[in-house]
Amino acid sequence: MNALLISIWLLPLVGAILLWAFGPQLNRAAGVVGTFVVFFSFGLTVVLFDVARAPGGLHVALGSWVPGFDFGLLLDPLALLWALVITGIGGLIHAYAIGYMWSDKAIARFFAYMNFFVFAMLTLVLSDNFVGLLVGWGLVGLASYFLISFWFYKPSAVAAGRKAFVINVFGDIGLMLAIFVIFAQLGSLGYASVFSKVGHLSTPTLLLVCVALFVACAAKSAQVPLHTWLPDAMEGPTPVSALIHAATMVTAGVYLIARCAPIFNASPQSQELVGIIGALTALTGAILGMAQWDIKRVLAYSTMSQIGYMIMGVGVGAYEAGVLHFWTHAFFKAQLFLGAGLVIHALHDEQDLRKMGGLRRRMPFAFLAMLLGTLAIIGFPGLSGFFSKDAVIYGVLERGHPMLFGVGVLVAGLTAYYMFRMIFIAFFGTYRGELDDAAVGVTERAGSPEPEDHAVHLPDWVMQGPVAILMIGTVGAGWFAIGGTASPWYRFFGDTFGTSAASAGVSGFPELASTILVLVIVAVGFAVAYARYGSPNAMAHAVDQLRNESRTMPPILVHAFYVDDALDALFVRPARALGTFFARFVDPHVIDGGVKDLVWLASALGLVFRVLQNGLVRTYAFTLVAGAAAILVYAAWMGSR
Amino acid sequence: MNFDPSPYVALSAVIFFIGVLGVLLRRNPLIVLMSIELMFNAANLALVAFSRAWVNNAGHVFAFLVITVAAAEAAIGLAIVVAVFRRSTNVDVDEVASMRG
Amino acid sequence: MIWALAIVPLLAGLALYALPRSAGDAAKWIGVAVSFVAFVAVLALRGAPDESVPWFSFPFVANFHAGLGQGISFWLAALLALTMTCALAVVRVPRQRGFVAQMLILLGAMMGVFISRDLLIFALFWDLQLIPVFLMLIGWSPDRRAASAWRYLVYNLAGGLALLLAVAAFGIAAQSTDVIGLPPPGGSWLANAHWSAWIFAGFAIAFLIKTPVWPLHTWMPDTYADLPPPAVAVVSAVQSKGGLYGFIAIAASVAPAPMHAIAPLMLVLGSAGLIYGAVVALVEDDAKRIVAYSSLSHLGLILIAIFSFDRVALAGAIVYIIAHGLFSAGLFLVLGEVEAREDTRLLSRLGGLGARNPRLAGGLVILALAALGLPGLAGFAGEILIISGVYRAGAIWPALLALVAVVLAAAYMLRLFQGMMQGPQISDLPQRPDMSPLEMFALAPLVVAIVWLGVNPGPVATAARDAYVSPPAIVSARP
Repeated sequence: MNALLISIWLLPLVGAILLWAFGPQLNRAAGVVGTFVVFFSFGLTVVLFDVARAPGGLHVALGSWVPGFDFGLLLDPLALLWALVITGIGGLIHAYAIGYMWSDKAIARFFAYMNFFVFAMLTLVLSDNFVGLLVGWGLVGLASYFLISFWFYKPSAVAAGRKAFVINVFGDIGLMLAIFVIFAQLGSLGYASVFSKVGHLSTPTLLLVCVALFVACAAKSAQVPLHTWLPDAMEGPTPVSALIHAATMVTAGVYLIARCAPIFNASPQSQELVGIIGALTALTGAILGMAQWDIKRVLAYSTMSQIGYMIMGVGVGAYEAGVLHFWTHAFFKAQLFLGAGLVIHALHDEQDLRKMGGLRRRMPFAFLAMLLGTLAIIGFPGLSGFFSKDAVIYGVLERGHPMLFGVGVLVAGLTAYYMFRMIFIAFFGTYRGELDDAAVGVTERAGSPEPEDHAVHLPDWVMQGPVAILMIGTVGAGWFAIGGTASPWYRFFGDTFGTSAASAGVSGFPELASTILVLVIVAVGFAVAYARYGSPNAMAHAVDQLRNESRTMPPILVHAFYVDDALDALFVRPARALGTFFARFVDPHVIDGGVKDLVWLASALGLVFRVLQNGLVRTYAFTLVAGAAAILVYAAWMGSR
Repeated sequence: MNFDPSPYVALSAVIFFIGVLGVLLRRNPLIVLMSIELMFNAANLALVAFSRAWVNNAGHVFAFLVITVAAAEAAIGLAIVVAVFRRSTNVDVDEVASMRG
Repeated sequence: MIWALAIVPLLAGLALYALPRSAGDAAKWIGVAVSFVAFVAVLALRGAPDESVPWFSFPFVANFHAGLGQGISFWLAALLALTMTCALAVVRVPRQRGFVAQMLILLGAMMGVFISRDLLIFALFWDLQLIPVFLMLIGWSPDRRAASAWRYLVYNLAGGLALLLAVAAFGIAAQSTDVIGLPPPGGSWLANAHWSAWIFAGFAIAFLIKTPVWPLHTWMPDTYADLPPPAVAVVSAVQSKGGLYGFIAIAASVAPAPMHAIAPLMLVLGSAGLIYGAVVALVEDDAKRIVAYSSLSHLGLILIAIFSFDRVALAGAIVYIIAHGLFSAGLFLVLGEVEAREDTRLLSRLGGLGARNPRLAGGLVILALAALGLPGLAGFAGEILIISGVYRAGAIWPALLALVAVVLAAAYMLRLFQGMMQGPQISDLPQRPDMSPLEMFALAPLVVAIVWLGVNPGPVATAARDAYVSPPAIVSARP
C-alpha cells in the first residue's frame, strides 16, 4: 500500500529522468513512454481509491529531512481528487501531445518536462507537511517555466517564462512566510499537528498566516494582481496550456486553501478577503476575455475567471462547491484547450480569431469539442459546469455574501458572451484565412510560429481520441453532485474540510431561484453575442465589423488594465534603478571612495614625513642634538622631583 | 685622595659644546669631522676625570675604546670626503644631499 | 597525519616548480591527483583524534595543534578538497605549471586555516592563504592588472594584521592560544571585558573583510573578475567561508559577550549586503560580477543567521555554507567554460548558446537554480532553515528582507541563464563544441553533491552540534 503511494509519486520522476537522459535515443517513442508512465500512476491511484476514503487516509512517513522536519505522504479524499485529475487528465493530455508535438525535434525533452511537472504536482498534493508542499510548489513553478519557454529561441517565450517564474517565486515567499510564522508559533510543520493546534494562534497571527498563504495562492492561481503571467504563458505549446495553465498547476491555490481549511475556517476576515479577491478576479478575467483576439488568450482569461470562481468558493468556506468546480473545469477547460489546439494545428499555427471563420464545416470534430466545452463553461443545464457553477454561486450566497453572489451572477453572463463570441467568430460565417491581415484589423501577430515539418503527421484520431474521452467528463462530471449535501460528492469528502464559520444564509432565497437567475443572465449574454457575431446579419458584415472592433478596442482593455505596467513600475524598475545606483555610483564612488581615501591618506602622511628627509647632514645632526637635549632636560627634571 | 673632578667635567662640557656648534654650523666636511673629534675627546676627558675621582679603572678602559672608535670613524669619514671631493672641488656639506627622501 | 593535509599540498606546490616550464599538463594532473588524495584523506580522517606539537610556552602557550573532528571543520575541508579537484581538472591557462603550483599552495594554506586548533597557527595560515591568490592575480589576470592584486592583498592583510594583534593579545590575556574547540574554563577565557571587546574587534575586522561583508566588500568584484575561473571557483567557494567559520568556530567561544553586543550591527550589515548584492546583480553585464555580487548577497544571509543565535538558523548556516560553496564553484567553472569558448562573458554580447551547447546550458541551469534556492536543491535547504530560525529568533526585518532577496535571486539568476543560453542566437558568436566528457566529469561531483545535500541536509545540519562549534557557548552567553 505504502509502496503503491510512493510509486504513484516517484514514477513520473523516473520517467522524466529516463526521458531526459535517453532523449536522443528514444526520439519520438518518448511520447509513448511519458504517457504510459502517467497513466500507470493514474491506474495505481484508482487502485488506492477506497484506501484514501478511510478515516485519516493513507499516510506514509518517509523519514526526517532534518531533525525536527519530518516528511511524508498523505492520500486523503482531497489529495486523491487532485491526484486523479493530475494523472488522469494529465495522461490524456500526454496522449494528445504525442500527436501535437510529433514533428518537433525536441519532443523527448518536452515529455521529460511534462513528466517532471506531473511529479512536481504530485509532490505538492501528496505531501503531509508544509515543507513538502513548498517543495512541490517550487518545483511546479520550475516545470511551468521550462514548459512555457520550451521554444527558448523565441524572445517572447523567454520573457514569458521569466515573468511566470518570478511571479511564482513571489508567491513562494508568501508560503515561506506562512511556514515561518507557523514554525515559530507552533514548532512543527506537519498538517496533522498544525491543524490540531490552530487554536493556539492569536487572531492577528492567523490573519497574517492566511494572507501569506493567499499571496502564494494568488501568484500560482493567477489572482488579481498577480495574474499577469497567465496570458503570456500561452507562449508554451497548447498541451502545456491545457495541462498546466488550465487543469492543474493554476488550481494549486485552490488546493492550498482547501487543504488549509482548518486555518482559514478560524479566520473569517481572511475568508472575506479571499472571497473578494476571487470575485474580483472572476470579473476581471471575464471583462478582459471579451477583448481578446487570440483564441488561446480568450481561454487563458477564461481560466483566470473560472479559477476566480473556485477561489471565491473555497475562500468563503464552500469547499465542496469550489472543489467541484475545479473538477468539472479540469474536464471542459482541457477539452477547450485541446480543441483549440486541433484548430491551431490544422491551420498551421494560426491563432488569431479574425483570420478564422466558418471552421465548423472544415473541422466538425473540433467544432463539436469547442461547442460542448463552451456550453459546459457557461453552465448549460445538465452539463458538468452547470452543477459546479451553481454550487459556487449559491454557496457564496448561502454563506452571507450577497455582493459576491451578484458578481458571480454577472460573470456568468459575461462568460456566456465572450465564449460564444469566440465560437461565432471562429466557427461560423466564412473563412477569412486568405484575407489580408489589415483587412480584418490584425496589427500585430497573435500566435507563435511553431517549428513544424509539415510532411509528417499522425492520423487524426491520435489527437481526437483524448478529446473524445474528455467529452465524457465534460458532460457527466457534475452528476456526482446531484442531491446537494447528500450527494456522492459531498459524502466523498466527509468532514475533510471541517466546519466553516459560515454565517446564516440569506433567508428565503431558495437555490432554485438562484439557478434560474443565473440561467436568465446567461441567456442574455448569449443573446448579445449572437446579435453581435452570430446572427446572419452580423456574419455578412463580419470582416468590416472585426476590423472596426479591432480599431476601437478601448486601450485600457488592450493593456489589460495596465496591471503589467503597474507591476513593472512598482517593482521591476525601482529594483533596477536601485541596482544601477549602487553599481555605478555607490560602489565605485562612495564605498570604494572611502577605501581610496584611506589609501590617499597613507601616501599623504608619507609626503608629510618626507619633509624630514631632506638629505642634509646638518639637519639630521640638529635633530640628534635637539633630541638628546630634550632627553637630558627631561631626565634632569625627573631627577629633581 | 681628594680629587675634585668638577673643573675637568666643566671643561669637558665646554669642549663638547664647541664641538656640537662646529658640527651644526660649519659647512666644510673636514671641519665637521674635526668637531666630531672634539666631541669624542671631550667625552674622554670626562671619563678619565670620573675614573680618577672614583678610583675605578673602567673609565680608562672605556676611554681607550672611544679613541679606537674615533680613529676608525675618522678614517671612514675622510674616505667619504675624498670620494665627494673627486666630484667637485668645492666640498659643501649642504650639497651632498643625494640621500634625500 | 592531519597536518599532512596542509603540509603535503604546500610542498607539492613548491615541488612543481622543479618541473620544466612546458610541463603544463603534467602539472595539472599532478595537481588533480594531490587534491583528490586530499579529499579522500579528509573523508578518511573524519573524527580522527587531534595532533599537537608544542611550539613555545613563553609569553604564552602556542602549539602546532591540528584537528578535523566531524563538524564544520570537516565539512569545509572536504568542500575545499572537492572544489579544488574539480577546478584543477578544467584548468587551461598559459604558464600552467606555475598556476597549478600556486593552486596547490592555496590548498595547503586553506587547509591549514580549517584544521588549526591553535589561534596563532590559525592567524599564520590566514595570512599565508593570501599569497597564492595575490600571485595568481599578478600573473594570470587579464592584462596583468596589478591593481586588483594589490588591493586584494593590502585589504586582506590589514584584516590579517588585526587578527594577529588580537591573537597576541588573547594569548597574553589567557596565557594560551591553543584554545580553538575547547570549552572555556569557568565560562569564559577572558576575565577582562574591555580586553575581550578589543580582541573580538580584531577578529571581527579580519572576518568581515574576508567574507566579505558590506561595506568592506569592494575588493571582491575586481578580484573575482580578474582571477582565472578555477581560482575564482575555489576562492569564492572556500576562502570566503573562512570568515564565517571564524565567527562560528572561534569568535563564539573566544569572545561570546562582545559577539552578542555587536549582533544588531551585524544584522544590519548582513541585511544591507543581502539586498545590495542582489540588486546590483540584477543590472551587471559581466557574468562573473553577477555571481560575485550574488555571493555578497548569500553570505550576508549567512551572517544574519550566525548573529541571530538560533540553533535552527545556525544549522541552516552551516548547510548553506557548504551549499554556497558547491554552487558558487560550479557557477564560476561553467562561466569559465562559456568564456573560454566565446571570448566574452558579457550578457549583452551573449545569447542563444543553449541551442548548440545543451549540456552547457543544462549545467548552468542546475547551478543557477541551486543558487536561487529552488526547493529540492542545496540552496533551498540552507535558506529555509536559516530564515525559519532567524524569524523564530525575533529578527523579523532581516527575515523579511531575506524573502525579498529570494525573489531578487530568482530574477537575476534567471536573467543570467536566459541572457546566456536562451533567446535567439547571436550570429557573430563562434560555433564551439559542447561540454566535453572531462568537463562534465569535473562538474558532476558538485552537481551530485548539491542534489544530495538538498534532499538530505541532515548530516551537515547536525554539524552544529559538534564540539568545534559549541552552540552552548553562543546560546548560553546571552547577557
